[in-house]
Amino acid sequence: MRGRRHLGFVAAAATLLAAAPMSTIYDRWTWLVQCAVVVGLIAGAATLTRWWRAPVWAQGLSMVAALLLGLTWIFPSGQELVSLLPTPGTLTHFGSLLASSGEDMRSYGVPVQDLDSLLFITALGVGGVAIVVDLLTVGMRRPALAGLPMLAIYSVPVAVHVDSVSAVPFVIGAVGFLWLLAADNVDRVRHFGRRFTGDGRDVDVWEPSPLAAAGRRLAVIGVAVAVLLPLAVPGMTSGLLSQLGTGGGGEGNGRPGQGGSPGRVNLFAQLSGELNRSEQRDMVKVTTNDPDPFYLRFAVADDFGRTGFGPRSPEGAPVTQGLPDPRDMSREQNAGITRTQYQAEVEIVDFAMPFLPVYTAPVSTRNVDGNWRYDPTMQVLYSERASSRNKKYSFEFVRSEYTPAALAAAPQLAPEHAFRKLYTTVEPVREVEELVGRLTTGKRNDYDRVRAIYDHFSRKNGFSYALNTEGGTSGQDIVNFLTNKVGFCQQYAAAMTWLVREAGVPARVAFGFTSANRSSNTYTLTNNNLHAWTEVYFTGIGWVPFDPTPAASITGSWRSEWAPDPDAPEQSPTAPSASAGPTADPSAGAESPDGAERPLDEAFDGGAGIAPDSGPRWPLWVVAVAVLLVLLLTVPALRRVLLRRRRQVRAAAAASTLASVTADGDVPPGVARVVLSDSELARARADAHAAWDELVDTLVDFRVRVDPAETPRATADRLVREGLTAGTADEAVRLLGHAEERARYAREPLRHGPLADALRSVRRALSAGADRRTRLVAATLPPSVLYRWRLAAMDLSAGFVGFTGRFRDRLLRWSPRRVLANRPSR
Amino acid sequence: MTQQTWDELGGTLPSDQFRAASDAIVANIEEVIEGKTATVRLALAVLLAEGHLLIEDVPGVGKTKLAKALARSIDCSVRRIQFTPDLLPSDVTGVSVYNQETHDFEFKPGAVFANLVVGDEINRASPKTQSALLECMEERQVTVDGVTYELQTPFMVIATQNPIEMEGTYPLPEAQRDRFTARIAMGYPDPGAELAMLDVHGGRDPIHELRPVSDAATVRKLIATVRDVHVADAVKQYAVDLVTATRESPDLRLGASPRATLQLLRTARAVAALEGRDYVLPDDLQALAVPVLAHRVIPTADAQLARRTTDAIVSELVHRLALPHERQRSPYDTRPPSGDGTGRSQYEPRRR
Repeated sequence: MRGRRHLGFVAAAATLLAAAPMSTIYDRWTWLVQCAVVVGLIAGAATLTRWWRAPVWAQGLSMVAALLLGLTWIFPSGQELVSLLPTPGTLTHFGSLLASSGEDMRSYGVPVQDLDSLLFITALGVGGVAIVVDLLTVGMRRPALAGLPMLAIYSVPVAVHVDSVSAVPFVIGAVGFLWLLAADNVDRVRHFGRRFTGDGRDVDVWEPSPLAAAGRRLAVIGVAVAVLLPLAVPGMTSGLLSQLGTGGGGEGNGRPGQGGSPGRVNLFAQLSGELNRSEQRDMVKVTTNDPDPFYLRFAVADDFGRTGFGPRSPEGAPVTQGLPDPRDMSREQNAGITRTQYQAEVEIVDFAMPFLPVYTAPVSTRNVDGNWRYDPTMQVLYSERASSRNKKYSFEFVRSEYTPAALAAAPQLAPEHAFRKLYTTVEPVREVEELVGRLTTGKRNDYDRVRAIYDHFSRKNGFSYALNTEGGTSGQDIVNFLTNKVGFCQQYAAAMTWLVREAGVPARVAFGFTSANRSSNTYTLTNNNLHAWTEVYFTGIGWVPFDPTPAASITGSWRSEWAPDPDAPEQSPTAPSASAGPTADPSAGAESPDGAERPLDEAFDGGAGIAPDSGPRWPLWVVAVAVLLVLLLTVPALRRVLLRRRRQVRAAAAASTLASVTADGDVPPGVARVVLSDSELARARADAHAAWDELVDTLVDFRVRVDPAETPRATADRLVREGLTAGTADEAVRLLGHAEERARYAREPLRHGPLADALRSVRRALSAGADRRTRLVAATLPPSVLYRWRLAAMDLSAGFVGFTGRFRDRLLRWSPRRVLANRPSR
Repeated sequence: MTQQTWDELGGTLPSDQFRAASDAIVANIEEVIEGKTATVRLALAVLLAEGHLLIEDVPGVGKTKLAKALARSIDCSVRRIQFTPDLLPSDVTGVSVYNQETHDFEFKPGAVFANLVVGDEINRASPKTQSALLECMEERQVTVDGVTYELQTPFMVIATQNPIEMEGTYPLPEAQRDRFTARIAMGYPDPGAELAMLDVHGGRDPIHELRPVSDAATVRKLIATVRDVHVADAVKQYAVDLVTATRESPDLRLGASPRATLQLLRTARAVAALEGRDYVLPDDLQALAVPVLAHRVIPTADAQLARRTTDAIVSELVHRLALPHERQRSPYDTRPPSGDGTGRSQYEPRRR
C-alpha cells in the first residue's frame, strides 16, 4: 500500500509538471498556485479513499468531489454553504465562468492577465487531467497511457500560440512523465521483493536489470524512428528534408488565413497567386481624407537571396510606443519636398498577413495593440504573433511629394553607408550589367540614373503587361524578363530594383494595393489591386516610390512629378492620376483590367506563378535513398562475386602452372622426381584451400549442411551420397575433396586438376538441385557472406562487451559504494 | 606414389612392393575368413603398427581362425596359448629349470617367445597369469629370476575373448586392456559369405593348406615403411583433440591414455599405408577411434545405466569433434577459439 500511495503523489506531481506549458500563456503565476491547490486536494482525496481500500470507481468519485470542492473554494460565487459546499448557485456561476472563458479566449491575446474565467478553466482542466492520470496510474496501473492527458495540456499553448512554443515547458512535462514511469516501474519491481544477485549481494533499486540493455536498444530504435519518420514524410513542412529540398523558395507561401512569421512570407508568390485568382474578392476597405492617396502599402522585399528578392525579418518597437515622424528627420532639406498629413481608416475584410496595410508614412495609430510593431526602415507594421484578419484600425500619415530637382540634388550615398551593403547587393549578371552601363552613361546624379532606368520600362522599348508569365525574381528570371519584355507588376518592380541596385543606388520592392473602386472617400481594394513597385533611397530624403509597371494596365496606377509615365510623354508630367485613377469611374476601372486579365487567367494555372524552383525535390531524395538501399543490398552479392572471382583466378592459375610442371615432370617414372620449391608447394596448397573454401561457401549459399567435424573426403562422399551432385559433378567434388586433403595433410599437395572447372560444375549441379528461393537467395544475399559478417560483428561486440566489463570492474574499485557500511561486502 | 625412392638397410619398401606384400597377406587370410576384409586389414594394420590385437566376439565367429590365419600367413615363429584358469605365469613367460648336467639353472622360454603369440580365451586365465603378459606386451622383454630376455621383432599378441559368458572368467584389468592396440569384433558373416563358407569349409579346414606368403624380414620392412608415413601437424592435433575429448566427455569415467594417442597414430599410419597413401588423414583416425579407443575407456555409471556402450560414446565424440585447421579458424565454427596454446579441447556437446 505504501508503494501505491507514493505512486499517487508522484502522479499528482507529474501532472503539475506537465502543466508547465501553461506558463507561456499566463502573464503571472496565479494559475500555478490554484492548480497546485486543486491537484493537492485531488491527491489527498485519492490517498484517503485508497487508505480505506475503496474500489476504483469510489476513488474517482472522491477525486471529482475534491475537484469540485477546490473549485468552489477558489472561485466562490458567494452562495455556498459555509463558503465551501457548492450549491446550485455555485454551479450556475461555474457555467457562466465557462461561457465567458470561451469569449475571453477569443478576445485576449497571449500572454493573458489573470482572468477568473481563464483561471477557472485552467484549474478545471488540470484537475481533470490529474484525476485521469491518477486513475490510469494507480487504479489501472497503466502509467504510459497517462501521457495522453498530459499531452492534452501541452496542446493548449501549441494551439494558442501562432508561432512556435518554447521547448522548455515541454521538457519539464516530459520529465514529469518519465518520473511517473520510473516510479511505477520501481514499484512494480518492489512487488517481487528484494532483488539480489546470484552470490547473495543485494541489488540497488536503481540498478538496471539485465533486461535493461534490450530496453535501451528499443528506446534508441524508437527515438531514431521518431526522428527519421517526419524527415521522410514530405507532407510535414519545415522538416529537415523540405529545408534541404526546396531551399526555402516555396515555404511559408503565405496562404491567406495562415499567420506565419513576417520574415518568411513569400510575397511574390502570394502576389501572383492573388492576381491570378479568377474570382474577385474584397480584401481591404480604406477611407481617407487624402484626395489623391498613394498605394496602400504593407510589405517590402529588400533582401536579395539566391532565389531573388525576399523580405528581411523586420525589427522595431511596438506601435504603442509611438511612431517616428518623417517631418522631424529631414527638416534641413525640405526644399522641394511637400509633406502633408492626412488621416485614414482601414477595415480589413479578407486579408490575413502578419502585416497591416498603411499609407506611408504613418505617424500615429489607433486600435492597434502592442502586438504590432513598426519597422522604421522598412516602414511596415508587422506582428510576430497576430494576424491582420478582421482588424479595424485608423492612423494618421504623412504623404511626401518630391520635385525632381530636390531628388537630383540629393547627394550620392556614402560608400561606407550601411545601406550600400544592405540594399545594393545583387548577383552579377552580365546582361544586366551591360544594360545598366548603357542606360546610365553620362548621368551625373542618382536621380538621373534612376530615371533613365525607370524610363527604360516603356512601351517604346517594347515592354508590355501580361499576367501569365513566370514570376520569379532571380537572376535568370530578370534576364528573361528584360529580353522578353513581357510581365506584370512584380517583374517590373523586381527588374527595376535590380537595375537600380546594379547602378549603385539602394532600392527595394514594395507591396501594397493600388487605389481603386472609389466611392466618396472610401476605396474598396480587391485581390486584383494588389501591386508591387520599386522604392529608391535618396540620401537625406528617404525612400521614394517609383512604379515602373505600365500605367495603362493597372487600375489606379499613380504617377508623380518625379516619376511620370514614360508611355505618355505628351501629357503633362504632373498627370497625377489623382483625377485619372479615381475619376476614371470605379466600375470601368474595375472592369477593364478584369477584362484584360480573364482570358489570361483561364490559360493560366495558378501554381506556375509561384517562385520558379523546379518543383519539389523529395522524389529525387526518395529515388536516391532507394538507389542507395539497392546498392547496399547488392553489397553482399558483390562481395561474394569478387571472392569467387579471386578464388577462381587462383584455381585457374594453379591449373596452368600445373600444366607446365607436369610437362617437365614427364620424365620416366622412378628416374627423378620433380622437386618443387617450398613456395610452389605453398602456392599449390593455397590454391587447393581457396578452391575448397569456395566449395564450402557455395554449399553454405545453397543451404547444404556443412559440418566442421567432417573431413574433406567425408564431405565429398556425403555430397555424392546425398545425390546433390550428379555425373561429372561427382568426380568434380571428389577431386576438390582430394585436393584439399592432400593440401592439408600430405607431404605434397595435388598438382594437377582443373579445380576451377570442378568448382564450376559443382556449383552448377548444386544450383540445379536447389529450389528457386534458395537460388535467388544465393545470388542476391549469399548466406556465406552474411554469416561471416555476422560472426565478425558478434566477435566485435563480444570483444567490446568484454572490454567494457573489465573497464567497469576497474571503475567499481573506486566506487564509494564499496565503503558504505550497511552494504554486505560481497 | 612419389617419394620413397631411397632404400636403406632394413629400410622401407617402395609403395608398389608394400602394396604387393600387404595384399598378399590379406588375400591369404581371406581364403580362410570370407567377407571380412575390413577386419582382416585392421588386424594386419595392428601388426604393422607394432601393436597387439584383442578380438572380442561371441563364440564361433572365427576369432581363433583369424588369429591363426594371420599367424600362418607369415613365415615366422608362432606360439599358441590356451588360457585356462589353472594356467600359471611361468607357462607364459618361461621358467628356470635346474639342469642336472650343467649344474645350473637353465631358462626354458615360455609361450611368449615367438613373433606371433595367439592367446585364446584370455579372460579365462586368472589375473595373475594375465599379468604375466604386461611386461612383454609393452616392453617386448621378459624378466625371469632377475634376468631380462629380449623378444624378437615383430612381436604381436593376438588374444581372443568372449564377452558373453562372464561365469568363471576374469575380466582383463585396465592396464592389460590398455596394452592392446585395438579391439575388434568379428561380427557375423553376411549370408553370401556364410554360404560360400559352407562350400569351402565343408570338407576340410582350409587353414591347414594355408601357406605363408611373407616372412619376418618382410614384415620388418613393412613396419619400417609404416613408420615413415607422413603425419601432418593438423592430424596430430586432431589425434590429441580426440583423446582429450574422451578425457573430458561427461559420459566417460576414464579417458584414453597417452599410450592410446601413440597407438592411435601408429595404427592410422599403418592403415594409410595399407590404403596406398603416404600420409595420414583424419578419416583414418575417425575410422580407428572406436577400435583403438573404445576398449580403454570406462563409462560412467549413468552411461552404463543408459546402456550406452563405449563404442557408441566414442563414435559420438568423433562425430562432434571439429577438425583442427592448420591455417585458420573455420568461418563456420562459431565456438570461441581455443587460442591459449595449451591444446585445450574444443569438445563441446553438439546443440540440436
